[in-house]
Amino acid sequence: MDLNSFGAVLTFAEEIEQRDLQFYTDAAAEESVGVHRDMYDSFIRENKKNISLIQRTRRENVTEMILEPIRHFYRKNYQLQENPAEGNDATAFLDIANARERRAFTFYTDGADKLRSLAEVSRSLKLLAKKHKRRLKLINNHA
Amino acid sequence: MAPTRIRNYIDGEWIDSQSTSFTDIYNPAKGEKIALFPVGTATDVDMAVQAAKAAFPYWRETPPLTRARYLFRLKEAFEENFDEISRTLTIEHGKAIDEARGEVRRMIENVEHATGVTTLMCGYTLEDVAQNIDCYGHRQPLGVFGCIAPYNFPAMVPWWFLPYAVVTGNTFVLKPSEQVPMTQSKVMEIVDEVGFPEGVINMVHGSRNVVNGMLDHPDIVGISFVGSTPTARYIYQKCGETGKRVQSLGGAKNIVAVMEDADLERSMPSLLTSFYGCTGQRCLSGSILVAVGTIGDRLVKQFTDASHNVSVGDGLNEQTFMGPLISKEHLARVTGFIEKGIEEGAELIMDGRKIKVEGYPDGYYLGPTIFDQVNGDMSIAKEEIFGPVVSIIRTGSLDDVVDLINSRGFANAASIYTSSGKTAREFKYRIKPSMVGVNIGIAAPMSFFPFGGAGNSMFGDIKGHGQEIFLFYTDMKVVIERWF
Repeated sequence: MDLNSFGAVLTFAEEIEQRDLQFYTDAAAEESVGVHRDMYDSFIRENKKNISLIQRTRRENVTEMILEPIRHFYRKNYQLQENPAEGNDATAFLDIANARERRAFTFYTDGADKLRSLAEVSRSLKLLAKKHKRRLKLINNHA
Repeated sequence: MAPTRIRNYIDGEWIDSQSTSFTDIYNPAKGEKIALFPVGTATDVDMAVQAAKAAFPYWRETPPLTRARYLFRLKEAFEENFDEISRTLTIEHGKAIDEARGEVRRMIENVEHATGVTTLMCGYTLEDVAQNIDCYGHRQPLGVFGCIAPYNFPAMVPWWFLPYAVVTGNTFVLKPSEQVPMTQSKVMEIVDEVGFPEGVINMVHGSRNVVNGMLDHPDIVGISFVGSTPTARYIYQKCGETGKRVQSLGGAKNIVAVMEDADLERSMPSLLTSFYGCTGQRCLSGSILVAVGTIGDRLVKQFTDASHNVSVGDGLNEQTFMGPLISKEHLARVTGFIEKGIEEGAELIMDGRKIKVEGYPDGYYLGPTIFDQVNGDMSIAKEEIFGPVVSIIRTGSLDDVVDLINSRGFANAASIYTSSGKTAREFKYRIKPSMVGVNIGIAAPMSFFPFGGAGNSMFGDIKGHGQEIFLFYTDMKVVIERWF
């Protein structure tokens, strides 16, 4: 499906954060994650903040004057296979987390570019890209 | 699910209309009945006005900052309910959910602007206008104001007026459009939760009886109206007869001119929004696309190609760019204009009547429709269509564009796309419409600027929102003072 509107992009962003929140919540509940639990807990807290940021951005930055269709931006490029968390070992969790963060970083970076005519929205997406890039680094440090 | 029964909000209570007649409200995306609507009576109006009148003395004595604090609370409550209001709006009106969100944002912006009352309502003074005599003027509220709102912006338009009337110390009776009563019902639930004193804000649903009840009521001191030109003119005349203040905003036939030096690639998204946003049902929509000089063929091709990509469907779908029209009757009216355009000799190069939205066989859909080779005398170039129908007129010069715009009678908005500052300046200087876009397809003033047209697009002198609205809702009392 096309991400052809401001709402479609931000709704998909919220969906990514919700799914990541669920994944990290499930991961943090697993015994096997061991020393990575604190990192996952911090991701959970951050995902909640990100959701608020996205919702606020959608509420406050949509004005009909600048609602314009977005082109060549597709959900399918950012879809991940959603597997159940339980039963994974710590390394498998890190691998999945890595893929999730890479997806989020790429999506937000592309989204910030596609919505650059809406400066404040683009700024929010850049901020989210930055947060997910920071997480990627953290995950790699744990690997 | 049983259709919602629409009720009035009077004196802080939800009460049934005195009316025994009801009509149905439909979800235009599905053609499905969603609400039962009372046609309303003059008695309903009187009950609301009596409540508003009784609330006025207390409310006008309430300090402006305290009144503003109610609005601060209301803004927060609107933010919390933002998604629900937007969704309700899309369900009853049909517009795309992004457009609904944009509209609710504009509604909230008016609340935000109105909170500036402690600055914007101030009067002024001058000492020694004569020896030992000082003069000062202060702004006072007047009493009960009314608003008669249109269907095309169910959330926003009533709030072009309400927050300013109330924050300046007046009390208010709102009549939402009979086609979209649910959004303001949701909004009034929030107003009720915020806890304004009873009677300060009231809402009466209904049709013609309610409108006339408001126009004839001796205790309503002023009316704000937005709708079609014939009704706007009628309201203006009636308010003149009954001595009410009035701001009466009517219809439009907006022209969007594209000059030879326009950046077509960058202009295209906003051109699409101008003609197809809200399915063409806004008074700022582009209606006539004027190609100036040699740009004609290139513009027509690019605009038509881009129009093929406009996604039409249920507004609740995030991928939808253009929702249905408001009603079956309006769909018939707009398609009637398409038939008229064909009869009068315009060249139909894209026919939106053929559109089918899968899964929504009963929705009131019309796809983007484009006529080329239109001339200024055709009905589609003169009358307000209020749908996604584009009439392309080809002209040779800016002078032709100005003449065309100034010959319409309507003078609401106009836009120009150009890379030349000189051309843009000449355009905005010479044309009659009051809202002008330069490389902007929808010239929509935000809450802190006035909204309204000229010519047959507006009757009255003070427009919606902006700083001037504080003048509409107050009287300047001038005191000349000397002490012995």
